[in-house]
Amino acid sequence: MTLRLGRHEFDDDATLMMAIVNRTPDSFYDRGSTWAEDAAFDRVAQVVDQGAEIVDIGGIKAAPGVEIDVAEERRRVVDFVARVRSTYPDLVISVDTWRAEVGRAVCAEGADVLNDAWGGADPELVGAAAEHGAGLICTHTGGVTPRTRPFRIEYADVVASAIADTTAYAERAVAAGVARDSVVIDPAHDFGKNTFHSLEVTRRLDEMVATGWPVLVSLSNKDFVGETLDLPVGERLTGTLAATAVCALAGARIYRVHEVVETRQVVDMVRSIAGLRPPARAIRGLA
Amino acid sequence: MKVVVVPSALALLPEYAGLADPVADLRAACEQAVGWLVDGGAPRVTLLVSARQPADERRGVDEPAGTRIARHLLRGRGVAEVDELRVSRLPHPALPGAVPERLLVVANGSATRSERAPGHLDERSHAFDATLGRALAAGDPAALTGVDAGLGEELWCRDVPVLHRLGELVGGRTVRAEVDYDDDPFGVQYWVARWSCGS
Repeated sequence: MTLRLGRHEFDDDATLMMAIVNRTPDSFYDRGSTWAEDAAFDRVAQVVDQGAEIVDIGGIKAAPGVEIDVAEERRRVVDFVARVRSTYPDLVISVDTWRAEVGRAVCAEGADVLNDAWGGADPELVGAAAEHGAGLICTHTGGVTPRTRPFRIEYADVVASAIADTTAYAERAVAAGVARDSVVIDPAHDFGKNTFHSLEVTRRLDEMVATGWPVLVSLSNKDFVGETLDLPVGERLTGTLAATAVCALAGARIYRVHEVVETRQVVDMVRSIAGLRPPARAIRGLA
Repeated sequence: MKVVVVPSALALLPEYAGLADPVADLRAACEQAVGWLVDGGAPRVTLLVSARQPADERRGVDEPAGTRIARHLLRGRGVAEVDELRVSRLPHPALPGAVPERLLVVANGSATRSERAPGHLDERSHAFDATLGRALAAGDPAALTGVDAGLGEELWCRDVPVLHRLGELVGGRTVRAEVDYDDDPFGVQYWVARWSCGS
Protein backbone atom coordinates (compact mmCIF):
# COMPACT_ATOMS: atom_id res chain seq x y z
CA MET A 1 0.00 0.00 0.00
CA THR A 2 1.03 3.62 -0.45
CA LEU A 3 3.12 4.73 2.48
CA ARG A 4 2.64 8.28 3.71
CA LEU A 5 5.31 9.63 6.05
CA GLY A 6 4.57 13.24 6.97
CA ARG A 7 4.43 15.26 3.79
CA HIS A 8 5.86 12.44 1.62
CA GLU A 9 4.17 9.59 -0.20
CA PHE A 10 5.87 6.46 -1.43
CA ASP A 11 4.51 3.88 -3.86
CA ASP A 12 3.90 0.43 -2.53
CA ASP A 13 6.83 -1.04 -4.39
CA ALA A 14 9.29 1.51 -2.99
CA THR A 15 11.94 0.44 -0.51
CA LEU A 16 13.38 3.12 1.72
CA MET A 17 16.69 3.64 3.47
CA MET A 18 16.40 5.11 6.96
CA ALA A 19 19.85 6.39 7.96
CA ILE A 20 20.72 6.39 11.64
CA VAL A 21 21.99 9.71 12.99
CA ASN A 22 22.62 9.50 16.71
CA ARG A 23 22.72 12.57 18.92
CA THR A 24 24.40 10.61 21.68
CA PRO A 25 27.92 10.41 23.08
CA ASP A 26 27.77 6.67 23.58
CA SER A 27 25.72 4.64 21.08
CA PHE A 28 27.13 1.17 20.42
CA TYR A 29 28.23 1.60 16.83
CA ASP A 30 29.16 5.20 16.22
CA ARG A 31 30.38 5.81 19.78
CA GLY A 32 29.73 9.51 19.76
CA SER A 33 30.99 10.31 16.29
CA THR A 34 27.92 12.48 15.71
CA TRP A 35 27.60 13.85 19.24
CA ALA A 36 28.82 17.28 18.23
CA GLU A 37 25.95 18.93 16.37
CA ASP A 38 28.01 19.93 13.35
CA ALA A 39 29.29 16.36 13.00
CA ALA A 40 25.71 15.13 13.12
CA PHE A 41 24.69 17.67 10.52
CA ASP A 42 27.56 16.57 8.29
CA ARG A 43 26.34 13.01 8.69
CA VAL A 44 22.87 14.06 7.53
CA ALA A 45 24.43 15.67 4.46
CA GLN A 46 26.41 12.52 3.79
CA VAL A 47 23.47 10.13 3.99
CA VAL A 48 21.25 12.42 1.92
CA ASP A 49 23.97 12.44 -0.69
CA GLN A 50 24.05 8.64 -0.49
CA GLY A 51 20.36 8.50 -1.26
CA ALA A 52 18.71 7.94 2.12
CA GLU A 53 15.06 8.82 1.99
CA ILE A 54 14.75 9.08 5.77
CA VAL A 55 17.04 10.11 8.62
CA ASP A 56 16.34 8.67 12.07
CA ILE A 57 17.56 11.00 14.78
CA GLY A 58 17.96 9.53 18.25
CA GLY A 59 18.99 11.16 21.51
CA ILE A 60 19.35 8.15 23.85
CA LYS A 61 21.34 4.98 23.38
CA ALA A 62 19.38 1.75 23.63
CA ALA A 63 21.66 0.11 26.21
CA PRO A 64 21.39 0.82 29.94
CA GLY A 65 23.43 3.64 31.40
CA VAL A 66 23.15 7.13 32.75
CA GLU A 67 19.55 8.26 32.93
CA ILE A 68 18.66 10.79 30.21
CA ASP A 69 15.61 12.72 31.30
CA VAL A 70 13.07 14.41 29.04
CA ALA A 71 14.80 17.79 29.23
CA GLU A 72 18.15 16.37 28.19
CA GLU A 73 16.61 14.30 25.41
CA ARG A 74 14.85 17.39 24.10
CA ARG A 75 18.06 19.36 24.27
CA ARG A 76 19.78 16.73 22.14
CA VAL A 77 17.21 16.42 19.37
CA VAL A 78 14.64 19.23 19.10
CA ASP A 79 16.79 22.07 17.76
CA PHE A 80 18.69 19.62 15.59
CA VAL A 81 15.44 18.48 13.97
CA ALA A 82 14.60 22.12 13.28
CA ARG A 83 17.99 22.67 11.69
CA VAL A 84 17.69 19.58 9.48
CA ARG A 85 14.15 20.49 8.49
CA SER A 86 15.09 24.02 7.45
CA THR A 87 18.01 22.74 5.34
CA TYR A 88 16.28 19.69 3.86
CA PRO A 89 12.61 20.51 3.33
CA ASP A 90 11.99 17.32 1.36
CA LEU A 91 13.79 14.85 3.63
CA VAL A 92 11.68 12.52 5.78
CA ILE A 93 12.75 13.12 9.37
CA SER A 94 12.15 10.36 11.88
CA VAL A 95 12.92 10.70 15.58
CA ASP A 96 13.74 7.66 17.68
CA THR A 97 11.92 8.27 20.95
CA TRP A 98 9.47 6.46 23.17
CA ARG A 99 8.36 9.64 24.96
CA ALA A 100 5.23 11.54 23.95
CA GLU A 101 6.59 14.85 25.25
CA VAL A 102 9.66 14.56 23.03
CA GLY A 103 7.47 13.37 20.17
CA ARG A 104 5.31 16.48 20.36
CA ALA A 105 8.33 18.76 20.50
CA VAL A 106 10.08 17.27 17.47
CA CYS A 107 6.89 17.12 15.42
CA ALA A 108 6.38 20.81 16.11
CA GLU A 109 9.80 21.38 14.51
CA GLY A 110 8.98 19.32 11.43
CA ALA A 111 9.57 15.67 12.23
CA ASP A 112 7.51 13.36 10.00
CA VAL A 113 7.78 10.07 11.86
CA LEU A 114 8.06 8.91 15.45
CA ASN A 115 10.09 5.72 15.73
CA ASP A 116 9.14 4.07 19.01
CA ALA A 117 11.88 1.51 19.60
CA TRP A 118 10.36 0.46 22.94
CA GLY A 119 7.04 -0.96 21.87
CA GLY A 120 4.59 1.57 23.26
CA ALA A 121 6.19 2.18 26.65
CA ASP A 122 4.53 5.62 26.72
CA PRO A 123 0.89 5.07 25.74
CA GLU A 124 0.53 8.79 24.94
CA LEU A 125 2.95 8.65 22.00
CA VAL A 126 0.16 7.69 19.57
CA GLY A 127 -1.60 10.93 20.50
CA ALA A 128 1.52 12.95 19.76
CA ALA A 129 1.79 11.37 16.31
CA ALA A 130 -1.91 11.84 15.59
CA GLU A 131 -1.95 15.51 16.62
CA HIS A 132 0.80 16.36 14.15
CA GLY A 133 -0.11 14.04 11.27
CA ALA A 134 3.10 12.12 11.80
CA GLY A 135 3.81 8.50 11.01
CA LEU A 136 4.55 5.93 13.69
CA ILE A 137 6.86 2.91 13.80
CA CYS A 138 5.33 0.25 16.08
CA THR A 139 7.91 -2.16 17.47
CA HIS A 140 7.80 -5.47 19.33
CA THR A 141 9.83 -5.72 22.52
CA GLY A 142 8.04 -8.42 24.50
CA GLY A 143 6.99 -5.76 26.98
CA VAL A 144 10.42 -4.94 28.40
CA THR A 145 11.22 -1.63 30.10
CA PRO A 146 13.08 0.92 27.93
CA ARG A 147 16.87 0.64 28.03
CA THR A 148 16.97 -2.80 29.60
CA ARG A 149 18.78 -5.81 28.21
CA PRO A 150 16.86 -9.03 27.54
CA PHE A 151 17.23 -11.45 30.46
CA ARG A 152 15.96 -15.00 30.11
CA ILE A 153 13.05 -13.90 27.93
CA GLU A 154 11.26 -16.75 26.19
CA TYR A 155 8.29 -17.01 23.87
CA ALA A 156 6.05 -19.87 22.81
CA ASP A 157 6.34 -18.31 19.33
CA VAL A 158 8.34 -15.10 19.01
CA VAL A 159 6.98 -14.30 15.56
CA ALA A 160 3.38 -14.76 16.67
CA SER A 161 4.13 -12.48 19.62
CA ALA A 162 5.74 -9.89 17.36
CA ILE A 163 2.80 -9.92 14.98
CA ALA A 164 0.22 -9.76 17.76
CA ASP A 165 1.94 -6.92 19.60
CA THR A 166 2.90 -4.76 16.62
CA THR A 167 -0.45 -5.05 14.89
CA ALA A 168 -2.29 -4.29 18.14
CA TYR A 169 -0.09 -1.23 18.59
CA ALA A 170 -0.73 -0.25 14.97
CA GLU A 171 -4.51 -0.49 15.44
CA ARG A 172 -4.25 1.54 18.64
CA ALA A 173 -2.39 4.21 16.70
CA VAL A 174 -5.07 4.30 14.01
CA ALA A 175 -7.80 4.47 16.64
CA ALA A 176 -5.98 7.47 18.17
CA GLY A 177 -6.00 9.27 14.83
CA VAL A 178 -2.74 8.30 13.13
CA ALA A 179 -3.40 7.80 9.42
CA ARG A 180 -3.54 4.10 8.57
CA ASP A 181 -1.13 4.57 5.67
CA SER A 182 1.38 6.22 8.02
CA VAL A 183 1.83 3.26 10.36
CA VAL A 184 4.74 0.84 10.06
CA ILE A 185 5.53 -2.30 12.08
CA ASP A 186 8.99 -3.46 13.14
CA PRO A 187 9.93 -6.74 14.83
CA ALA A 188 12.82 -4.86 16.52
CA HIS A 189 15.63 -7.37 16.29
CA ASP A 190 17.37 -7.95 19.64
CA PHE A 191 14.92 -5.82 21.64
CA GLY A 192 13.46 -8.21 24.20
CA LYS A 193 14.96 -11.01 22.13
CA ASN A 194 18.01 -13.24 22.25
CA THR A 195 19.95 -14.22 19.11
CA PHE A 196 17.75 -17.28 18.45
CA HIS A 197 14.67 -15.07 18.53
CA SER A 198 16.20 -12.49 16.17
CA LEU A 199 17.26 -15.20 13.72
CA GLU A 200 13.77 -16.69 13.77
CA VAL A 201 12.14 -13.30 13.22
CA THR A 202 14.41 -12.84 10.21
CA ARG A 203 13.69 -16.33 8.89
CA ARG A 204 9.92 -15.80 9.20
CA LEU A 205 9.70 -12.11 8.29
CA ASP A 206 7.34 -13.01 5.44
CA GLU A 207 4.68 -13.65 8.10
CA MET A 208 4.97 -10.06 9.32
CA VAL A 209 4.83 -8.76 5.77
CA ALA A 210 1.71 -10.86 5.16
CA THR A 211 -0.17 -8.81 7.79
CA GLY A 212 -0.35 -6.03 5.19
CA TRP A 213 1.34 -3.42 7.38
CA PRO A 214 4.58 -2.05 5.91
CA VAL A 215 7.55 -3.64 7.69
CA LEU A 216 10.71 -1.88 8.86
CA VAL A 217 13.79 -3.85 9.88
CA SER A 218 16.65 -2.53 11.97
CA LEU A 219 19.48 -5.03 11.66
CA SER A 220 22.56 -2.91 11.39
CA ASN A 221 25.56 -4.28 13.27
CA LYS A 222 23.39 -5.79 15.98
CA ASP A 223 24.45 -8.41 18.50
CA PHE A 224 22.49 -11.20 16.83
CA VAL A 225 24.81 -10.78 13.86
CA GLY A 226 27.81 -10.63 16.16
CA GLU A 227 26.84 -13.77 18.08
CA THR A 228 25.98 -15.70 14.93
CA LEU A 229 29.37 -15.01 13.34
CA ASP A 230 31.40 -14.42 16.52
CA LEU A 231 32.40 -10.94 15.37
CA PRO A 232 32.72 -7.68 17.31
CA VAL A 233 30.93 -4.43 16.55
CA GLY A 234 32.74 -2.93 13.58
CA GLU A 235 33.09 -6.24 11.73
CA ARG A 236 29.43 -7.08 11.24
CA LEU A 237 28.62 -5.45 7.90
CA THR A 238 28.70 -8.66 5.85
CA GLY A 239 26.45 -10.48 8.31
CA THR A 240 24.13 -7.49 8.45
CA LEU A 241 23.85 -7.45 4.67
CA ALA A 242 23.10 -11.18 4.60
CA ALA A 243 20.23 -10.64 7.02
CA THR A 244 19.18 -7.63 4.93
CA ALA A 245 18.97 -9.79 1.81
CA VAL A 246 16.71 -12.28 3.60
CA CYS A 247 14.46 -9.48 4.80
CA ALA A 248 14.38 -7.92 1.34
CA LEU A 249 13.31 -11.22 -0.17
CA ALA A 250 10.58 -11.43 2.45
CA GLY A 251 9.29 -7.98 1.50
CA ALA A 252 10.55 -5.50 4.10
CA ARG A 253 9.90 -1.88 3.04
CA ILE A 254 12.16 0.25 5.26
CA TYR A 255 15.73 -0.51 6.33
CA ARG A 256 17.15 1.33 9.32
CA VAL A 257 20.90 1.38 8.71
CA HIS A 258 24.34 2.76 9.41
CA GLU A 259 25.57 1.93 5.88
CA VAL A 260 23.23 3.40 3.28
CA VAL A 261 25.11 2.65 0.06
CA GLU A 262 25.78 -1.02 0.79
CA THR A 263 22.25 -1.67 2.01
CA ARG A 264 20.67 0.03 -0.99
CA GLN A 265 22.74 -2.15 -3.31
CA VAL A 266 21.74 -5.33 -1.50
CA VAL A 267 18.05 -4.47 -1.43
CA ASP A 268 18.00 -3.44 -5.10
CA MET A 269 19.90 -6.59 -6.12
CA VAL A 270 17.50 -8.83 -4.19
CA ARG A 271 14.44 -7.12 -5.59
CA SER A 272 15.76 -7.49 -9.11
CA ILE A 273 16.43 -11.19 -8.46
CA ALA A 274 12.85 -11.47 -7.22
CA GLY A 275 11.60 -9.91 -10.43
CA LEU A 276 10.29 -6.81 -8.67
CA ARG A 277 12.80 -4.32 -10.07
CA PRO A 278 14.27 -4.18 -13.57
CA PRO A 279 18.07 -4.01 -13.86
CA ALA A 280 19.43 -0.48 -13.82
CA ARG A 281 20.61 -0.66 -17.44
CA ALA A 282 20.75 -3.80 -19.61
CA ILE A 283 22.43 -4.08 -23.03
CA ARG A 284 24.72 -7.11 -22.70
CA GLY A 285 23.52 -9.71 -25.20
CA LEU A 286 20.77 -7.40 -26.28
CA ALA A 287 22.49 -5.16 -28.74
CA MET B 1 19.24 -35.91 52.37
CA LYS B 2 21.33 -34.63 49.46
CA VAL B 3 20.91 -31.21 47.87
CA VAL B 4 22.43 -29.75 44.71
CA VAL B 5 22.03 -26.11 43.69
CA VAL B 6 22.55 -25.10 40.06
CA PRO B 7 21.79 -21.73 38.38
CA SER B 8 18.70 -21.03 36.25
CA ALA B 9 20.74 -20.01 33.20
CA LEU B 10 18.95 -20.67 29.91
CA ALA B 11 22.37 -21.16 28.29
CA LEU B 12 22.42 -24.63 29.93
CA LEU B 13 19.52 -25.78 27.73
CA PRO B 14 20.23 -27.63 24.46
CA GLU B 15 17.82 -25.48 22.43
CA TYR B 16 20.12 -22.49 23.08
CA ALA B 17 23.36 -24.23 22.13
CA GLY B 18 25.76 -22.40 19.83
CA LEU B 19 28.86 -23.78 18.12
CA ALA B 20 30.90 -22.79 21.18
CA ASP B 21 29.66 -23.29 24.74
CA PRO B 22 29.90 -19.99 26.66
CA VAL B 23 29.13 -21.80 29.94
CA ALA B 24 31.33 -24.89 29.52
CA ASP B 25 32.88 -24.72 32.99
CA LEU B 26 29.52 -24.12 34.62
CA ARG B 27 27.94 -26.98 32.69
CA ALA B 28 30.71 -29.37 33.74
CA ALA B 29 30.26 -28.41 37.38
CA CYS B 30 26.48 -28.86 37.13
CA GLU B 31 26.79 -32.28 35.53
CA GLN B 32 29.32 -33.46 38.09
CA ALA B 33 27.14 -32.26 40.97
CA VAL B 34 24.01 -33.89 39.55
CA GLY B 35 26.00 -37.10 39.08
CA TRP B 36 26.82 -36.99 42.80
CA LEU B 37 23.13 -36.33 43.61
CA VAL B 38 21.81 -39.39 41.80
CA ASP B 39 24.86 -41.56 42.45
CA GLY B 40 24.32 -43.98 39.56
CA GLY B 41 20.54 -44.14 39.87
CA ALA B 42 17.91 -42.97 42.32
CA PRO B 43 14.25 -43.82 42.93
CA ARG B 44 13.18 -40.20 43.13
CA VAL B 45 14.53 -36.68 42.75
CA THR B 46 12.55 -33.61 43.75
CA LEU B 47 13.04 -30.41 41.82
CA LEU B 48 12.83 -27.05 43.60
CA VAL B 49 12.37 -24.29 41.02
CA SER B 50 10.86 -20.85 40.56
CA ALA B 51 7.34 -20.80 39.13
CA ARG B 52 6.77 -19.06 35.82
CA GLN B 53 6.85 -15.29 35.87
CA PRO B 54 3.59 -13.56 34.78
CA ALA B 55 5.43 -12.21 31.73
CA ASP B 56 6.39 -15.76 30.70
CA GLU B 57 2.76 -16.82 30.98
CA ARG B 58 1.71 -13.90 28.76
CA ARG B 59 4.28 -14.99 26.17
CA GLY B 60 2.92 -18.53 26.19
CA VAL B 61 5.83 -20.27 27.92
CA ASP B 62 4.46 -23.52 29.38
CA GLU B 63 7.11 -24.77 31.75
CA PRO B 64 9.38 -22.81 34.08
CA ALA B 65 12.97 -22.60 32.91
CA GLY B 66 14.14 -24.22 36.14
CA THR B 67 12.07 -27.33 35.41
CA ARG B 68 13.55 -27.67 31.95
CA ILE B 69 17.11 -27.08 33.16
CA ALA B 70 16.76 -29.65 35.95
CA ARG B 71 15.17 -32.29 33.69
CA HIS B 72 17.87 -31.73 31.09
CA LEU B 73 20.59 -32.32 33.69
CA LEU B 74 18.82 -35.48 34.94
CA ARG B 75 18.26 -36.98 31.50
CA GLY B 76 19.73 -40.44 31.08
CA ARG B 77 20.82 -40.77 34.72
CA GLY B 78 18.44 -43.55 35.71
CA VAL B 79 16.13 -41.54 37.96
CA ALA B 80 12.85 -43.44 38.29
CA GLU B 81 10.65 -40.54 39.35
CA VAL B 82 10.96 -36.76 39.27
CA ASP B 83 8.56 -34.52 41.11
CA GLU B 84 8.56 -30.78 41.62
CA LEU B 85 8.00 -27.95 44.01
CA ARG B 86 7.39 -24.71 42.09
CA VAL B 87 7.84 -21.63 44.22
CA SER B 88 6.66 -18.07 43.71
CA ARG B 89 6.59 -15.03 45.99
CA LEU B 90 3.02 -15.79 46.97
CA PRO B 91 2.48 -17.55 50.30
CA HIS B 92 2.96 -21.24 49.69
CA PRO B 93 1.11 -24.19 51.14
CA ALA B 94 2.44 -26.25 54.00
CA LEU B 95 5.44 -28.41 53.28
CA PRO B 96 4.69 -31.96 52.10
CA GLY B 97 4.77 -34.63 54.78
CA ALA B 98 7.77 -36.53 53.43
CA VAL B 99 10.92 -34.44 53.11
CA PRO B 100 12.67 -35.12 49.81
CA GLU B 101 15.77 -37.30 50.01
CA ARG B 102 17.33 -35.88 46.86
CA LEU B 103 16.69 -32.25 46.01
CA LEU B 104 17.79 -30.50 42.81
CA VAL B 105 17.47 -26.75 43.34
CA VAL B 106 17.61 -24.33 40.40
CA ALA B 107 18.49 -20.85 41.63
CA ASN B 108 21.14 -18.16 41.33
CA GLY B 109 22.04 -14.72 42.61
CA SER B 110 21.73 -11.22 41.20
CA ALA B 111 22.05 -10.20 37.54
CA THR B 112 23.22 -6.63 38.23
CA ARG B 113 26.87 -7.15 39.08
CA SER B 114 28.53 -5.03 36.37
CA GLU B 115 27.78 -2.47 33.70
CA ARG B 116 27.70 -5.30 31.15
CA ALA B 117 25.37 -7.46 33.25
CA PRO B 118 21.84 -8.05 31.98
CA GLY B 119 20.50 -5.70 34.63
CA HIS B 120 23.42 -3.25 34.40
CA LEU B 121 25.25 -2.40 37.62
CA ASP B 122 23.59 -2.09 40.99
CA GLU B 123 26.18 -1.52 43.69
CA ARG B 124 24.09 -3.48 46.21
CA SER B 125 24.57 -6.72 44.26
CA HIS B 126 27.89 -7.80 45.66
CA ALA B 127 26.84 -7.65 49.30
CA PHE B 128 23.54 -9.37 48.48
CA ASP B 129 25.29 -12.20 46.64
CA ALA B 130 27.96 -12.48 49.33
CA THR B 131 25.24 -13.17 51.89
CA LEU B 132 23.77 -15.94 49.75
CA GLY B 133 27.21 -17.30 48.91
CA ARG B 134 28.22 -17.49 52.56
CA ALA B 135 25.02 -19.34 53.43
CA LEU B 136 25.58 -21.89 50.67
CA ALA B 137 29.25 -22.38 51.54
CA ALA B 138 28.56 -22.72 55.26
CA GLY B 139 25.58 -25.02 54.80
CA ASP B 140 23.43 -22.53 56.74
CA PRO B 141 19.72 -23.02 55.91
CA ALA B 142 18.61 -20.44 58.47
CA ALA B 143 20.68 -17.76 56.76
CA LEU B 144 18.97 -18.56 53.46
CA THR B 145 15.52 -18.03 54.92
CA GLY B 146 16.52 -14.54 56.09
CA VAL B 147 17.48 -13.14 52.66
CA ASP B 148 15.33 -10.23 51.44
CA ALA B 149 13.28 -11.37 48.43
CA GLY B 150 12.24 -7.81 47.60
CA LEU B 151 15.84 -6.69 47.36
CA GLY B 152 16.50 -9.77 45.24
CA GLU B 153 13.81 -8.71 42.76
CA GLU B 154 15.39 -5.25 42.51
CA LEU B 155 18.71 -6.94 41.73
CA TRP B 156 17.13 -9.15 39.04
CA CYS B 157 17.31 -12.25 41.28
CA ARG B 158 13.92 -13.99 41.16
CA ASP B 159 15.03 -17.12 43.01
CA VAL B 160 15.11 -15.98 46.64
CA PRO B 161 11.75 -17.68 47.38
CA VAL B 162 13.29 -20.93 46.11
CA LEU B 163 16.24 -20.50 48.46
CA HIS B 164 13.88 -19.68 51.32
CA ARG B 165 12.08 -22.94 50.62
CA LEU B 166 15.39 -24.80 50.55
CA GLY B 167 16.18 -23.39 53.97
CA GLU B 168 12.80 -24.54 55.29
CA LEU B 169 13.15 -28.04 53.84
CA VAL B 170 16.62 -28.60 55.31
CA GLY B 171 15.49 -27.07 58.58
CA GLY B 172 17.66 -27.91 61.60
CA ARG B 173 19.72 -30.64 59.96
CA THR B 174 23.49 -30.48 60.11
CA VAL B 175 24.90 -29.76 56.69
CA ARG B 176 28.23 -30.60 55.10
CA ALA B 177 28.55 -28.10 52.24
CA GLU B 178 30.76 -27.93 49.14
CA VAL B 179 30.70 -25.12 46.58
CA ASP B 180 32.05 -26.42 43.27
CA TYR B 181 31.46 -23.25 41.23
CA ASP B 182 31.20 -19.59 42.31
CA ASP B 183 31.53 -17.04 39.50
CA ASP B 184 29.77 -14.34 37.52
CA PRO B 185 31.14 -14.62 33.96
CA PHE B 186 28.27 -12.54 32.52
CA GLY B 187 27.43 -10.31 35.45
CA VAL B 188 25.00 -12.91 36.87
CA GLN B 189 26.04 -14.71 40.08
CA TYR B 190 26.13 -18.49 39.61
CA TRP B 191 26.82 -21.17 42.21
CA VAL B 192 27.00 -24.94 41.97
CA ALA B 193 26.75 -26.24 45.50
CA ARG B 194 26.28 -29.63 47.15
CA TRP B 195 24.82 -30.19 50.61
CA SER B 196 24.87 -33.47 52.50
CA CYS B 197 22.31 -33.11 55.26
CA GLY B 198 22.29 -35.30 58.36
CA SER B 199 19.11 -36.16 60.29
